[in-house]
Amino acid sequence: MNWRNETVFVTGATGFIGGRVCERMMQAGVPKVRALVHGMHRAARIARLPVELCPGDLLERESLRQALGGAKIVIHCGVGLASSIVRGTENMLAVAQAAGVKRFIHVSTAAIYGITPPPGSESEDAPLRRTGDAYCDNKAAAEKVVLNYGKRGLPVVILRPSIVWGPYSAWSTRLMDDLRDGRVAFIAGGHGACNTTYVDNLIDAMVLGLENDGALNQAFFITDAERVSWGDFIRAHMALIEPRPAVEEISRAEIEASRDRSSGLLRGSMKAAARVARSKEFRQMLMQIPLTEAAMKKAWNWVSALPPEKRERLRARFGVRRAAAKSTNAKFIPDALTEATQSTTVFFSIEKARKVLGYEPRVRFSEGMKLVEQWLRYAAYL
Amino acid sequence: MTEPIRLAILGCGAITRSEHIPAVSAHPGVQLVALVDTDLPRAGALIRNRGLSCRAVADYREVLGQVDAVVNALPNHLHVSSNMDCLRAGKHVLCEKPLAITAAEARSCTEFAEEKKLVLAVGMNRRFAASHSLLKLVIEEGLLGSIQNYDFQYGGAFDWRSASGFYFDRAQAGGGALLDFGVHMLDSVIDWFGPVSAFDYQDDDWGSGIEANLFLDLKHAGRFGEIPGHLQISRTFGLKNRLLVRAAAASAEITVSDPEVVVIHRAIGGAPVSQTLQMENFSGGSPYWRQLDNFVQSIANRGKPEVDGWQAVRVLELIESCYAHKRRIAEPWTEIGAESRAGSETSSGTGGSETRT
Repeated sequence: MNWRNETVFVTGATGFIGGRVCERMMQAGVPKVRALVHGMHRAARIARLPVELCPGDLLERESLRQALGGAKIVIHCGVGLASSIVRGTENMLAVAQAAGVKRFIHVSTAAIYGITPPPGSESEDAPLRRTGDAYCDNKAAAEKVVLNYGKRGLPVVILRPSIVWGPYSAWSTRLMDDLRDGRVAFIAGGHGACNTTYVDNLIDAMVLGLENDGALNQAFFITDAERVSWGDFIRAHMALIEPRPAVEEISRAEIEASRDRSSGLLRGSMKAAARVARSKEFRQMLMQIPLTEAAMKKAWNWVSALPPEKRERLRARFGVRRAAAKSTNAKFIPDALTEATQSTTVFFSIEKARKVLGYEPRVRFSEGMKLVEQWLRYAAYL
Repeated sequence: MTEPIRLAILGCGAITRSEHIPAVSAHPGVQLVALVDTDLPRAGALIRNRGLSCRAVADYREVLGQVDAVVNALPNHLHVSSNMDCLRAGKHVLCEKPLAITAAEARSCTEFAEEKKLVLAVGMNRRFAASHSLLKLVIEEGLLGSIQNYDFQYGGAFDWRSASGFYFDRAQAGGGALLDFGVHMLDSVIDWFGPVSAFDYQDDDWGSGIEANLFLDLKHAGRFGEIPGHLQISRTFGLKNRLLVRAAAASAEITVSDPEVVVIHRAIGGAPVSQTLQMENFSGGSPYWRQLDNFVQSIANRGKPEVDGWQAVRVLELIESCYAHKRRIAEPWTEIGAESRAGSETSSGTGGSETRT
């Protein structure tokens, strides 16, 4: 379809991926971009573009109807809380279908196979099973809803990127902060599969999804298709910092052993903290306060319902305190989420995207890293 | 003791809640008569929550007969018309920055206030931070030696929860980071180093007129000779958030986190040392309280306020010149989108380098 003459509606437009989508759509010369904005105060990056800032909330259908306006193309990057991913996506789909939208690009994630995708999940036809992680499971459930709308006639395309990186990405900015604070380790030799997806490569795939009718009603893994390990990703960022930060190796056994030793709530991951909070001893200790358990549970549900990037940001914020442990010469112990993220051996295959979409990653890892470096300098990280 | 000045605050947005109400409540020379907001329940809730004994009014014209002066904290695009209405009714005005979204409007407002012999003060709260006057003294007394240059940076992820969200609308805000925050920085550097004789301005506006990042190189031609300076503002990422004045004998630093002191850096016998200067006997209260106090004193003495309309006009004229001669900041990481991909995606009017002037 000729999307270049269409108004494009972008959800998640104040985020890292959606922000770049808005830029690319302007660069492609579409007549108008309408950007769904939930928190106006977060819109500084896209407010500099001649896009229409449309206030709205994925959880309020009427606001979506108004925000969509006459747009016939939807690029759905919006997430929100993990617990409302399905509802938000369904609202957007319903509004899009009623408005006669011609193409709906759904940005899913390879994490539907879990934070640590198991061997066997390399290709799109691998069976999905519950992972126990709210974000992963809800993103998986959202895909099913998207496909249902696809069957009912809405032209949908699902993209499953993995570690989406590039300028403005927290994967780089947080890593820079963590490297400077001594809060990075090579987990299991740093051999875990990173599955980088440079943000512009992902957007190339979105564009192909708009153009290619053969892609309808299908899901595609989208990565840079280079076997970049987490060690490679970390080392590429280390190389930007002077003096070069020291990063130690840590085995998963060491991480486990350290967790067993730790008893404080702030030690280890937020997951571990919740485990402690749910433990018998802890609850007995606080038995006199009947609300505590409910409050703890509520807090934990809230944290686990956040998408990984937000959880990571939260972790990083609380993690600052753990940096103190580093100064006492204790070995840095990564939290459970980082360990899980960096422990997969699976490199997702983009063969289907190549074949059906005609996708070929345009930005190589080394080139992407150069662009990230330029941006990090601009953004005063270097 | 003279009668307190009867005052109305126009606009119940973020700055009124966080600064103007506390300042007005703490000032004995002022009696708050009304909070004005088209969202009447918002004004009413604010009165109840803060335990104020004043009226909530939807239209400022209703209260002009009962006040001597107003604090104007309406969205930017409404400043001029409301200022003019208030001045026409014979009321003194303390207007939040920017005084107007164009220099011409600021000028007509200022001229009208002069004609009516009314006080028109502009809300440049940073002028009332102790560090502002302190640095002025340090420079004037020659404590630093001859000044070489300065570097002034302010940046952070934009998080101003404006009640109306007008900040990102060109027609309502009048501009982006330069007009919003640059007015403070430019007002300060002109007050310290003298009028601007040359500038080079770049920002990251792709066509909305609401830049998020900017670089501004300036040359001042004041009584200390020619002083070059560099300003950087960001609404998307953190910067050093400080002013550093480099001079022959020492450098002086003001940080955003501690606007009450000036830190002098120099070497003694080759060893780098720093010294923190602070004003003794500096009047208490927040910079907003001091600004209000200056307004009140100006009304009582029929004198000029610390920041009058003409100072706002010269800053707005400079900002307009910057916007008129802007160049696009190079963002090479975005140029990938402007490349031709399989002959389909081509560079367009908003993204390609051809838009740079």
